[in-house]
Amino acid sequence: MKMPAFSMAYWRTSLHDPGLRLLLAALIVAIAALTSVGFFADRVERALERQGSALMAADLVLEQGGAIPESWLKQAGELGLETARMVGFPSVIIVDEQPLLVQVKAVGSAYPLRGRLEVETPNGNVGTAPADGEAWLEGRLRDRLRATLGETEIQLGEITLNAAGILINEPDRGGNLFQLAPRLMISYEDAERSELLGPASRVRYRLLLAGDADRIEAMRAWLKPRLLQGSSLVDLENARPELRTALERAERFLGLAALCASLLAGIAILLATRRYVDRALDGAAVMRTLGMSGGAVLRWHLVRLFVVVIAAVVGGSLFGLFGQQALVALVGEWFGSALPAPGMRPAFIGLLFGLAMVIGFAIPSLLRIGRVPPLRVLRRELDAPGLSGWLVWLLGIAVFVGLLIWQVQDYRLAGAMAMATLAALALFMLAGRLLLGLLSPLRRTGGTAALGLAALARYPQLTLLQLAGFGLGITLLLLLAVVRVDIIDTWQASLPEDAPNHFLINVQPDEAAALKKLLTERRIPNSGLHAMTRARLVEISGRAIEPTSYESLRARRLAAREYSLSFGAEMQADNRIKAGRWWNAEEAEQPGFSVEFELAETLGIDVGDTLTFDVAGQRVMAPVTNLRTVAWDSFNVNFFVVGTPALAGEIPVAYITSLYIEGSSEALTVDLANAFPAVSMLDLRPILAQVREIMERGALAVEMVFAFTLLAAALVTFAAAQVSRDERAREVAVMRTIGASRKRLLGAVLAEFGLLGFIGGLLGALLAAISGYLIAVELFDLPGRINPALWWLGIGAGTLVVALVGWLATRRLLAVPPMRVLNSG
Amino acid sequence: MPDGHALEILAAIDMQVNAGEAVAILGPSGSGKSTLLGLLAGLDQPTQGRVSLLGQDLAGLDEDARAGLRAGRVGFVFQSFQLLPGMSALENVALPLQLGRMNGARPQAETLLREVGLGERLSHLPRQLSGGEQQRVALARAFAGDPEILFADEPTGNLDADSGERIIDLLFNLRDRVGSTLLLVTHDQQLARRCDRTLRLNAGRLLAAA
Repeated sequence: MKMPAFSMAYWRTSLHDPGLRLLLAALIVAIAALTSVGFFADRVERALERQGSALMAADLVLEQGGAIPESWLKQAGELGLETARMVGFPSVIIVDEQPLLVQVKAVGSAYPLRGRLEVETPNGNVGTAPADGEAWLEGRLRDRLRATLGETEIQLGEITLNAAGILINEPDRGGNLFQLAPRLMISYEDAERSELLGPASRVRYRLLLAGDADRIEAMRAWLKPRLLQGSSLVDLENARPELRTALERAERFLGLAALCASLLAGIAILLATRRYVDRALDGAAVMRTLGMSGGAVLRWHLVRLFVVVIAAVVGGSLFGLFGQQALVALVGEWFGSALPAPGMRPAFIGLLFGLAMVIGFAIPSLLRIGRVPPLRVLRRELDAPGLSGWLVWLLGIAVFVGLLIWQVQDYRLAGAMAMATLAALALFMLAGRLLLGLLSPLRRTGGTAALGLAALARYPQLTLLQLAGFGLGITLLLLLAVVRVDIIDTWQASLPEDAPNHFLINVQPDEAAALKKLLTERRIPNSGLHAMTRARLVEISGRAIEPTSYESLRARRLAAREYSLSFGAEMQADNRIKAGRWWNAEEAEQPGFSVEFELAETLGIDVGDTLTFDVAGQRVMAPVTNLRTVAWDSFNVNFFVVGTPALAGEIPVAYITSLYIEGSSEALTVDLANAFPAVSMLDLRPILAQVREIMERGALAVEMVFAFTLLAAALVTFAAAQVSRDERAREVAVMRTIGASRKRLLGAVLAEFGLLGFIGGLLGALLAAISGYLIAVELFDLPGRINPALWWLGIGAGTLVVALVGWLATRRLLAVPPMRVLNSG
Repeated sequence: MPDGHALEILAAIDMQVNAGEAVAILGPSGSGKSTLLGLLAGLDQPTQGRVSLLGQDLAGLDEDARAGLRAGRVGFVFQSFQLLPGMSALENVALPLQLGRMNGARPQAETLLREVGLGERLSHLPRQLSGGEQQRVALARAFAGDPEILFADEPTGNLDADSGERIIDLLFNLRDRVGSTLLLVTHDQQLARRCDRTLRLNAGRLLAAA
């Protein structure tokens, strides 16, 4: 039999089908949630990347000892990249015949390519590179020079500069932690004219590059074979380990937020489809009586469903765009104009996602329509056999896992989420069966509560479906409302307010005791003095280090760089041993190295390998006895490589410590300068502020993204209550006909939904507690804790909200005269 | 109505059914028979006019009070049976007794089901029963609690002749035993003849009493 044509009138009628409406709404919310998350996360991630880029003032930085060839600049220009040249070197300036060591940073006029430069000048604040003949001074340099803006003359090599502005914010300032001398920023051309860029000088040239990721990649590929020994390419990935950690965490949070929305949407679609199918069965039976095959009836509904998907993708994507725009408006001041325009990718993903959701969550239930017995036209109670409940859920989960892997690109996370979802469903089904078993005897009694509770036992499949829907909804809501906040709090607390904010470096061994005494007297919290020296890794187990032998640029860079080698008997508190073990008192007297785990992995170092370092011409050799992880974002003094105290005896060392200073550090700076002239104090606060801001932005972005998961959860709750609406309407009408009072029916419904909410809430709290604990410990390396609020919120709010939803759904049914329901078939 | 005009389903109906009487309302499809039955039973409300049930004016009663009036005193039999699909035959019959908070609901329901010949089908769900059997369950449910009045809406409309006949016999037997007033809506003249009197309805108007 030919498939009937679909007229516009037919579609208008379809829109009035409550099941189809719910399905459409579920899909729209699902796609809107995903695309909002998609558009927004896409933009936020790109903004966060840019924020990271701001710390380099570029997307990619080439750094080397020699001048950047013109041809490289030309190539970058041809690729459409923005470029800025930069050169840095230490030099002595003369002001009023007084010499002073400064760190010169000479920048091209386009600097900075990313981030914001802020300079205070007599004519107001500006954000541009200094013009020829002008110099921007760091605040402490102005103080030392007692300079007057616009008047003080600074002699640098062969040129004279005017102190024209004070550096307030320099985006790539944190680029080098160990920058001692105060900053003097001048124009690149002035640096060339100064004649200080001779071949023997300690000059580092940089080429800053910025542009589209593709073009940056093209430039990187072009540069790679042309790099000289000692050149390095620095990008966001290898720029700053503590920043990378923060970014990775933010990305994981966003991914997790998107997943929660998808899962809830899937359940809502599952429930909505059930309602749609229940209502479509009568029509399907008529079609079969008229001669349509089961397959044709199914295809007819599949076409209908496909049109719904298309409509949902269009509507959902539009809502998604509005949604993300609302988010942008909310956090506009955080991301400002730096937030890139929405890309098309999330909309395309929305389409694929919509189809996948329908395949996983709607079609398995829709198969029932094709199997409807034609006899149903005479015997309405004849049902259509469907796939077993377990199979329907399994197919949904399979698609969900597929979406997970596709979206998170992390098999471990996807696997963990899939296992968690399966375990949760198994728990709900098991609890549901147990509940049904316990409720069975209630069918024999006639009290109000019993009437409602017996209703649960009368429709076991529906009860299990609703319990799973409510329960998973409650679990995810609890994860959002309680666990998420706990994790973010713990995450932010991992960078405590009293994190070290100053470093003291270059403390000579003979000054160590006196400095320690001074810090103790002044009650300044510090990390203790750590012996360190600069060293270059030259051999691993007798193999000479050859940076070019490594595949990755990161490995090459790490192989070529100088390390701050430390020595100590105790391990830093924020370190964790990954392999081998930390040395005991006896082993501390033997030569030995402890290596940071990621560095060891990158360079191929294992416990038992012998490392040889070159320390000012002296070779220091020792076996690796352990590998450890380091919490770089703790801002404690940390080292890639630590040697036993036994090794320190052979080589000259200086000491380093980190301090927490509340308020101004000026007084201490002066005292230190007087007592320990060689010691330099480094103020970390600007860098700390930058990192904390990035973390806060990450947390805020996550909260925004989770708002959509809330919407999806609300829809699941609604869908779970709606799925039984038709059966309930008939039941209510019959009961009203034979004399049940409104109060009685509402009481029964409250008991029924309240119990569902109670069980769902109890299990939801249990699951949220377990998964929250695991997420904190396994995913984010944070200490796990279980918030007692989970229990009372889960059980209390679960019971109340679900009972309320049931009450609202039934209250409207009670307002309809029974005759109308009974006459409707 | 879409054209803005009000649709008149019933008009100028003035009728009275006395206690213990069996009255048939006869009329073609769409004449408003079922609507009239719904109004008389308080399942719906008229836009104009008054209905009294069991001596009580329904106009002053809200939905709940009307339900309360029906509880345990009014029985129903529908053309489409209207059994609750999730409940067994026994549970369906026991329901009005439980709603009326009567003791021994289940034994009473069991007795009634045996009376209609379904003693072996107590735990069957409606979908496991034939149409005739379902209507017998509906009859048992209607007479549970010995109602003062029974409303029957085309009780044989969905059944074959044999089953229909059996149902009607059962209905009148039960009614005779219980002594309920009966209000029967049908388009079957023969069936109408078994009642004490017949009211004819056409296009929403009562024609004449027979």
